[in-house]
Amino acid sequence: MSGRRALRLLAALGLAACAACGGSHAPRAATPERTPAAAPPLAAAGAERVLEAVRAPGARAVMLNVWATWCAPCREEFPDIVRLARAYRARGLRLVLVSADFEDGAGAARAFLAGHGVDVPSFIRTGDDMRFINAIEPFWSGAIPATFLYDGAGRKLGFWEGRQTYATLESAVRKALDEAPSHDSTEVKR
Amino acid sequence: MKLTMKTVVLGSAMIGCAVAAFVAPGRADDAPRALALGQPAPRAAVKMMNVDGRALSIAEEAGRKGTLVIFMCNACPWVKAWQTRIVELGNGCAKRGIGVIAINSNDPGTVPEDDYPVMRSNAKAHGMTFPYVVDATSDVARAFGATRTPEAYLFDAAGRLVYHGTVDDNAHQPEAVKARYLADAVNAVAAGKKVAVAETKSLGCSIKFRPRG
Repeated sequence: MSGRRALRLLAALGLAACAACGGSHAPRAATPERTPAAAPPLAAAGAERVLEAVRAPGARAVMLNVWATWCAPCREEFPDIVRLARAYRARGLRLVLVSADFEDGAGAARAFLAGHGVDVPSFIRTGDDMRFINAIEPFWSGAIPATFLYDGAGRKLGFWEGRQTYATLESAVRKALDEAPSHDSTEVKR
Repeated sequence: MKLTMKTVVLGSAMIGCAVAAFVAPGRADDAPRALALGQPAPRAAVKMMNVDGRALSIAEEAGRKGTLVIFMCNACPWVKAWQTRIVELGNGCAKRGIGVIAINSNDPGTVPEDDYPVMRSNAKAHGMTFPYVVDATSDVARAFGATRTPEAYLFDAAGRLVYHGTVDDNAHQPEAVKARYLADAVNAVAAGKKVAVAETKSLGCSIKFRPRG
């Protein structure tokens, strides 16, 4: 890992930690609801940071899901996303979650994540929507939920707009993992 | 010229489909493709029930200088965030020769808040002076290739699509808006000028399409 990359990672982890403890960099919750203690970190991030997480070494396939607490099809799809990620984690599938809630909805987003037992660091997108959408996928209209599948080198294999079934996503994930090289030979796309 | 244009359109469509199929192998076969710039409004003659009880079509609401078609709904937080700006812009369009029609294509079976009575109260509460109609089959949205709310399509005086996209660059914080994409496009169309930024995007709620009939 380069020094610059390490610094970026440390900065992101710091931001995530602040978000977790409600520090000054943490998005403020709009609602007074209690956030469970087990709520995972939720770092504000633009597309660059999200893609950095997608391309980080160590995965044989990566699933990126953009969701929001107020989005009914996202909420319906979410348990399948989490279940799929758990089922294939041992084979090298990494899950990257990005909440499209407005930043003052971060509290609700963290509570939702905790309620689904999400234990991986997640993001809440920030900044210009159009830049975010086009950086993630130029063909993406911006509708959510949206799910993107990458190989271990960060190359996009496909994406879906709207709620998908477990079977649809699992089929694509299995194919990606079946075709992926072993951990040792996975290269990271810069 | 006609042959050339037809060839260009067909060729572009074929290339577009090929690229989309490559980039997005996971998308459903019937995933909508947005109407291309330069195209006329599809399904413009379809009658849709307005909140005032009249059945209206896009063609009937077309303005002398242009027509704004905007897919919206009642429940989506992005629509709610932009609603004041959408209504303000829409209400001002008529005086400038631009027709406006807001279309709700959501299935109220999926989102009860998007049912007709709520549309009526919503339009009244926000002082909408332009039609807000029900796309009863969601087929108008499908024909446009609309995927989310809000999503705007602006046609010029000749009925060609000259702008497709979002309202501005900050739904949540009106005071922080830097680029008023839709307002700028409306101004250009009203003045008979070229729209500078013709395609924009924002995150938004997916349209909850009714099942195909």
